[in-house]
Amino acid sequence: MPKPLTENTTVTANQPAQIIELVQRCTAQRTPIVDYGHAHKTLGHPPPPDHIQLILQNNTIEHYDRDLVVRVEAGTTIAKLQATLKKSNQFLPIDAHDDMTLGEVITHNVFGPLRVGFGAMRDLLLGLRYIDGHSRDIHVGGRTVKNVAGYDVTRLMVGSLGELGCIYEATLRTSAIPQTVLSVELSIDTPRRLDAITTDLLVSDVGPVHLALHAQANHWRVHLAYFGHTAGCRAQSNALETFLNRFAPELKIDRTQETTLDQDAQQRTRRSQWRRHTPALVKLIVPLAATGAVCRQLSQWATTYTTLQIDALPAHGRVFAGGDLDADSAHKLDLHTSQLAASVGGLRIWYARPTGTQSIDPWPPALTDRATLTKLKHAMDPHNLFNPGRFITAQQ
Amino acid sequence: MAAAIETVLNRLREVVGDEGVLADRNELVAYECDGLPIAKGVPTAVVFPTDTGQVAECVRVLAKLGVPIVPRGSGTGLTGGCVVFGGGVIVSTSRMTRIESIDLANRVAVVGAGVRNLALNEAVAARGTPMGATEGGWLRFSPDPSSQSASTIGGNAATNAGGINTLKYGVTTSHVLGVEVVLADGAVVRTGGGLCDGVGADLTGLLCGSEGTLGIITRVWCRLTAGPRHFRTVYAEFGCMREACQTVSDVVASGVVPTSMEIMDGQMIGVIEQAFGYGFSAGAGALLLIEIDGVEAVLDEQLESVVRICGANGAEGVRHCADAQERAELWRVRKRAFGAIGRISRSYCTQDACVPRSKLPEAIEAITAIGGRYGLKVTHIFHAGDGNVHPILLFDEDDADDVQRVLAASEAILEYCVSIGGTITGEHGVGVEKLHLMEKMFNSATMAAFGDIKAAFDPDGCINDGKLIPSDRIRIELKGVTGMNVPGGAG
Repeated sequence: MPKPLTENTTVTANQPAQIIELVQRCTAQRTPIVDYGHAHKTLGHPPPPDHIQLILQNNTIEHYDRDLVVRVEAGTTIAKLQATLKKSNQFLPIDAHDDMTLGEVITHNVFGPLRVGFGAMRDLLLGLRYIDGHSRDIHVGGRTVKNVAGYDVTRLMVGSLGELGCIYEATLRTSAIPQTVLSVELSIDTPRRLDAITTDLLVSDVGPVHLALHAQANHWRVHLAYFGHTAGCRAQSNALETFLNRFAPELKIDRTQETTLDQDAQQRTRRSQWRRHTPALVKLIVPLAATGAVCRQLSQWATTYTTLQIDALPAHGRVFAGGDLDADSAHKLDLHTSQLAASVGGLRIWYARPTGTQSIDPWPPALTDRATLTKLKHAMDPHNLFNPGRFITAQQ
Repeated sequence: MAAAIETVLNRLREVVGDEGVLADRNELVAYECDGLPIAKGVPTAVVFPTDTGQVAECVRVLAKLGVPIVPRGSGTGLTGGCVVFGGGVIVSTSRMTRIESIDLANRVAVVGAGVRNLALNEAVAARGTPMGATEGGWLRFSPDPSSQSASTIGGNAATNAGGINTLKYGVTTSHVLGVEVVLADGAVVRTGGGLCDGVGADLTGLLCGSEGTLGIITRVWCRLTAGPRHFRTVYAEFGCMREACQTVSDVVASGVVPTSMEIMDGQMIGVIEQAFGYGFSAGAGALLLIEIDGVEAVLDEQLESVVRICGANGAEGVRHCADAQERAELWRVRKRAFGAIGRISRSYCTQDACVPRSKLPEAIEAITAIGGRYGLKVTHIFHAGDGNVHPILLFDEDDADDVQRVLAASEAILEYCVSIGGTITGEHGVGVEKLHLMEKMFNSATMAAFGDIKAAFDPDGCINDGKLIPSDRIRIELKGVTGMNVPGGAG
């Protein structure tokens, strides 16, 4: 007779069979299994007070280095995975903090500036193993880079916020570590200018592998980089100067630095570190060519009300804004970002809400696919065990 | 029965007009199969809606009357996925051909599901770039299946189509930002849209490649990406397939990411020479085509690296070109290769599987040997860079034994591919052709989960039931059918 689960406890699972047993016991006892990840604890509606927290294994199962493919347990941290891959001169081309687990990166669709050159998790993920709400051990996708057998549940799980099952293993593409990384920093008077030139920049010979926009004390900076052979990186950097002189003379190259992948990754992490600790953080997803304009409006709004930190991915229409806001300012920011997102056909999501702002809905207004997602949640997690109520409301 | 059919047709005519319903038996024959003629079934009717509203209304009418619904684009699929078995109505998207918008600054095009892949690409390329800042710069919808002049964007999305460029640029799902889909109850759902990111599980990802079993895709938001402007194309001849395959594995392991790597064996080289007289060496055992694209400043260095790897693996002749015309001619020959196979065999069956790229050398030998065990000749031309093998089994369609041996050998080949970490289909899909192999690829729990997903979207099995996953309501048995003449058309 298994011991009854103690609520609000942490359970470590070493094998899929143990997760299955846990899901069965939680089903019988109607105890939710909660995993919001390290960096996303404040995203979405809070978990029910009584729940079980699951800790998963943390190993690389197999690195098919000649195929540039790796199979990893979902509890593996990004730091550990990158260290393993580095031994074979490879890396996982995704912007995620070292302490995040692979499972968290998948279920929250974590991405950053590298998406320009390498895609996001939906492009890197080849296969998944997870336990669903029926206590079944599901294996989808595989280790080949092309695979259209069966429903693409692998991609479905990307960004699923841990609501559809417990992922315990993933298979991913990797990339070769580039010989040279050339990082370039530019200053720009107004981020709106980026909206006009980003497409041409990406289509040209000076298209970078990563691109990000940051506001630092009312100064806008663009960070980009080239990966590859030294001569090629230098040629691109020189061509960038010519491109800017001709088409965007107001963008000035402040610094060009030859660096390593590790150093470049550290810089990217450092630039996004503020988001991990800020009490108020809102994300806007907007049409690509509206990114700069949205950043500018947020910046202008901030000069009236408060101080905001802003960063954005101009190639992917993602803007983060946040800071040490009190409840009143957060409510005002909510109104502003909601209107801003609606005016450009975008979405706004609260990643962290300061105390006293629980009335703010973290999610954007329901889209037409919400009902379909709810049906899927019911099909895959009929007892509403996994992160219940975080985003999807259970089907009655 | 006739009265019931007439009721269905009349209701559909109310929705799409007389010109939107095809019910003449002689004309319906054109819709009895796709690129897999072994799987045939004449539909009760074909309906041609012109917008999402009409599709939704047609689905409501048909679902209410209990008539099976099968979505169809231009019918270029290779697995029987858009064929009606046992009666039903095809909902064709072929008249939904409006390119609604091409937004260069946001790098997205919104198109009706019936827009042809090539038509979209021509329209996008003609627009250049927003600022015209880069000479010759252009955007495109990257997926390039061999059928791209005929196949529709909706069909590409529904089957998650591949192509020659996928090695570097990814398959269709990586280029679809969102879809509009009509569900079995007539509800219209929009996933994603013009944005690069969304909230919650990736429904767009699930719908891509669902082979029209979860709903009918009526509109697609296509991601536009930079089209390459600088190329180097290498063609290397080898004494045997193992050397060519090893070269592919070594290029992958080196970290160079070519746009494409395609292999053909000695037999195919001979066929192509007979047909097109391109100038390949008749005695070569294998030919490897490698294309790299990117920034001009780095291409020669990458080319050097690729040529070195070819040489290290015993390439007998390595040529390369940067000339656009020569390159275009090479790829034209590659894309027409399947049409030339008739010179060596009356009938042929092209299989589609994927294996880990490091296992290509042994896999190709094993597949050829399996064909031999069944008394069949096998020839190869395939997307080697993806590990996407397309063994072509040669046979005589009038020989019933031959047909049986082809079916048995196909199954053995696919089982072998699965056994070495591969998959039963890399780009063609499951349809009805590989339905019986799904349980060899997936455990019973996963098959049950697939069934649950289907039921969540389509509880009564109204739309394309019996495709992709087995159904209790409809069973399609292909084995034992003679007169097989499978044209293939891989990749």
